[in-house]
Amino acid sequence: MAKKQLLLTIVTPEKTVLYAKPVGFVSLPAVDGEMGVLPSHASFVVELKEGLMHYKDGPRKEVFSVLSGFAEIHKNKVLVLAEAAELLKEISEERARQAYQKAKETLAIRGADLDLDEAQAALRRAAVRIKASEFKRKHKL
Amino acid sequence: MKMVAAARIKRAQAAILASRPFAHEMDRLIEDLYGELEEDDFYGSEAQALFEDRPAGGTLCLVLVTADKGLCGSFNTNLLKAAASWLKENRSRKICVVAVGRKGRDFLRRLKGLDLEINFELVGIFPKTGYAHAQLLTDAVLKLYTEWPVESVTLVYNEFKSMMTQRIVTDQLLPLKRRILEKGSGARGKTGEFSFEPRKADLLGALLPRHISAQLYRTLLESQAAELAARMNAMESASKNANELIEGLTLTMNKTRQAMITTELNEIVSGSDALA
Repeated sequence: MAKKQLLLTIVTPEKTVLYAKPVGFVSLPAVDGEMGVLPSHASFVVELKEGLMHYKDGPRKEVFSVLSGFAEIHKNKVLVLAEAAELLKEISEERARQAYQKAKETLAIRGADLDLDEAQAALRRAAVRIKASEFKRKHKL
Repeated sequence: MKMVAAARIKRAQAAILASRPFAHEMDRLIEDLYGELEEDDFYGSEAQALFEDRPAGGTLCLVLVTADKGLCGSFNTNLLKAAASWLKENRSRKICVVAVGRKGRDFLRRLKGLDLEINFELVGIFPKTGYAHAQLLTDAVLKLYTEWPVESVTLVYNEFKSMMTQRIVTDQLLPLKRRILEKGSGARGKTGEFSFEPRKADLLGALLPRHISAQLYRTLLESQAAELAARMNAMESASKNANELIEGLTLTMNKTRQAMITTELNEIVSGSDALA
């Protein structure tokens, strides 16, 4: 008989990052500390804070940064609802910092009201990426 | 412009599709959580404030989602008409407005003789709407809802039905109670098998603002796609009309020219006849 596995789904408002991917282990950044999930875990609903989640699929390990959200564990299915989730490998700290600077400058100019909201949105996105890359450095990934 | 709109609408439709799983799972989670919740857990929590009906007679809040640009047929006109009739119905009340899109904002600014205040505006976000915009909007709406005695928040926007049709939707965003209970399909009652971290009520309190952002995000995407579809149709019929016009004018031009030539020939012939 095949080994029991978890089905991991990660969805964000903008896209479905992973859909029902069979994995062996998931670690989630819960509000009260990190939480590991193995197959046959009890049903659980938990709030997530921004941080890193990773899953293990045999010897392979993938790390994601997630921005606050929720996770539901039910019958060997792990559902992660996050406001944003990105593969850590795809985040570049340098670019995030540049984007952050640019958005700050645009906001400082004001006056021309066209892209103020756009800039504010960009600022938010960049802040998340910077946070993620700081995590990345701290954990030497 | 038709081409531009046609190219963009593909992306807009893909964005709507991509946002569906999240909204769907979110609704399910909330319904489950609401079903698991015991009454005394619920009272006095943050979540309760969003669910409870407020006493009638307070301020009314309108969230109006329009386009930034014109040239999209009756898209904005119909929307503004709907908004105007809503305002007319509630003209004796104090009204605060959250305007998305330049057309709606300009329209609301021009209005006189109403007890109306524009509290928040979001312009220039189309056609690159992101979830971050929906979050900004949610923050503004929730701030308004908690700080002011707002009775209810109404949402007016264009829904994307198909490439040819848009439908104007007037929807109540807050308080939430009615919306979720109206659906009520996912309520499977208490199963008691879930554990929660943190407490259920806190969890619900954190979940609801996200639910509202997901709602607003969907609204923005719908409106964006509807705008592009409307523009595409408007521009297509504009090109068609222009082509018909050109055809007619070319015919007239040719006829006039022919008539001129005929008259001239006639003159020459009758002139030479007279001489002979």
